[in-house]
Amino acid sequence: MNTFKKLAAVAVALTMSAGALQAGDVLDKVMADGVLRISTDPAWPPQSFLDENNEMDGFDVDVARAIAAKLGVEAAFVTPDWSLITAGNWAGRWDISVGSMTPTKERAEVLSFPAIYYYVPASVAVHNDSDAQAHSDLNGRTIGVSAASTWEQYLRHDLVIDAVGVPEFDYEIDPGEIKTYGTDIPVIDELRLGDGVRINAMIGSLPNFLDAIKNGYPIRVLGEPLFFEPLAVAVDLGDEEFSAKVGEIVEALREDGTLAELSEKWYDFDFANTN
Amino acid sequence: MLYADTVRNRSLSEQPVLIAIIFAVSCVVFALVGLHHTLLALPFLPQPEEHGLVTQGIATLVVAGLFTLNILLISRLRLRLQIFVVWAELFMCFLIFFFAFDLNFPFILTKLPFLLTQGVFTTLYVSAISITIATVLAIFGAIAKLSSNGFAFAIASFYTSMFRGLPLLVQIYLIYLGLPQLGIFVDAVPAGVIALSLCYGAYMTEIFRAGIMSIDKGQWEAARSIGFKFGLTMRRVILPQAVPIIVPPLGNQFIAMLKDSSLVSVLGVWELMYLARTLGQREFRHLEMLLTVAIIYWVMTIVFEIVQGRIESYFQKHHRR
Repeated sequence: MNTFKKLAAVAVALTMSAGALQAGDVLDKVMADGVLRISTDPAWPPQSFLDENNEMDGFDVDVARAIAAKLGVEAAFVTPDWSLITAGNWAGRWDISVGSMTPTKERAEVLSFPAIYYYVPASVAVHNDSDAQAHSDLNGRTIGVSAASTWEQYLRHDLVIDAVGVPEFDYEIDPGEIKTYGTDIPVIDELRLGDGVRINAMIGSLPNFLDAIKNGYPIRVLGEPLFFEPLAVAVDLGDEEFSAKVGEIVEALREDGTLAELSEKWYDFDFANTN
Repeated sequence: MLYADTVRNRSLSEQPVLIAIIFAVSCVVFALVGLHHTLLALPFLPQPEEHGLVTQGIATLVVAGLFTLNILLISRLRLRLQIFVVWAELFMCFLIFFFAFDLNFPFILTKLPFLLTQGVFTTLYVSAISITIATVLAIFGAIAKLSSNGFAFAIASFYTSMFRGLPLLVQIYLIYLGLPQLGIFVDAVPAGVIALSLCYGAYMTEIFRAGIMSIDKGQWEAARSIGFKFGLTMRRVILPQAVPIIVPPLGNQFIAMLKDSSLVSVLGVWELMYLARTLGQREFRHLEMLLTVAIIYWVMTIVFEIVQGRIESYFQKHHRR
């Protein structure tokens, strides 16, 4: 009988997860379990990475913990591949993504973006030996970028950021060839090999470049940032109530200065309140 | 070992022409790769830039001579010693390659315990579960593919065709992303295990099938003539003879599975490959991590190879026909 009950419970759980999310579903589950399951990819220091004790740490991780604390629940982290997070249809595997995601129109079709929590400058980096002085010097050259990122969309002149308060931008570079990689790290490694060995330049987040330079990489940042990228928390489509609640919490964290403080901690700069 | 010929061939050391050719070829190769820049020439040319072409030429000749002498000496050793020395020298070359990267060893040491407890553990249990399920699938698949039942054959051949035909990474994504759409919720680890089992089950089906087919028809007829039914014939007559034949290719699959389990890292499972890609990120020390897991994977496969060797020699002793 006991086994039968268990099987029945599993069957019920399966059928429930099969249907579309109802309003309040995710929020109810989070509050009932007392756990907020957050997806973030620890391959992106300093936003998210594994520290000396092999535990999750970084700006995104701190923000995620702050959100969970406001909800009054525990924070638990899962680490699926980035493409699985941006694909949507999470099937309840995790509740929220605090992973520095740009809320583009395409992504808004499969995910909901309750709130933007900071803005990060997207910059160009070149090898120290490069003769490029301005962004336009890179026209026709080979540029590396992490795949499926807003930086790649920028290079392809196909960037649509669907969010309020985003500063205007122009397409300043006409690349000859665009090479795409899994994350930022392999691109920086390609650039380190020398100017034009594999790539002439790369686009990425300014804090990441500064970190690499601090770690002795022979690269320099070229010119002013190309655009300011709004970065948002994301939730699965369907539960408006949960989405609204997360939006409220992030706004509250901005008002009480928590976001600014965390940004200062990780970037030495307040990216939470740019403009 | 292949058939041991009783006609004695002349050994390398008795063929001056061959030695001369080896020397000449190694001279050309070393000159082409610019030996004076590499680690091997360091004892002869401490400051490569300061030397002219003549000195560099002499260095090339000396190193090529040493290389040829080395081969000559090894060829005079007894077989076991020969194998050992060649292994040791190849391994030294690998180590030189490894050390040439200017690695941060204290960093590797701090991360090693976590790589072993979390990474190796996860890799091993994911592979072990998958290979067990795959073996069961393969036995049924092989019997179905050999049966005269149309349904069984069709299902089994569709299965092997499909799962051998799709890249493993695609299968992993399809199972992880696709099954929830059908209302079946699978976590990252089960999804990975399902994909690995199905894929390797398909490959191993073919191995089992080949093993069973290699047993002479007369064995079936003999078993039938003394009244054995299908199951008993399989258990007592066919499989005991087929297993020794399929052990080497099966060992191959085990080793391949161990390394293909790294594909599960895309689902966020904290196995060896995932940690290799993640742990070094903060300090920009990914080459250290990649080389470390490379060696860990290698050591694990060496253990597998030894076990496979033991099993093979067991069957050679006890099941000699």
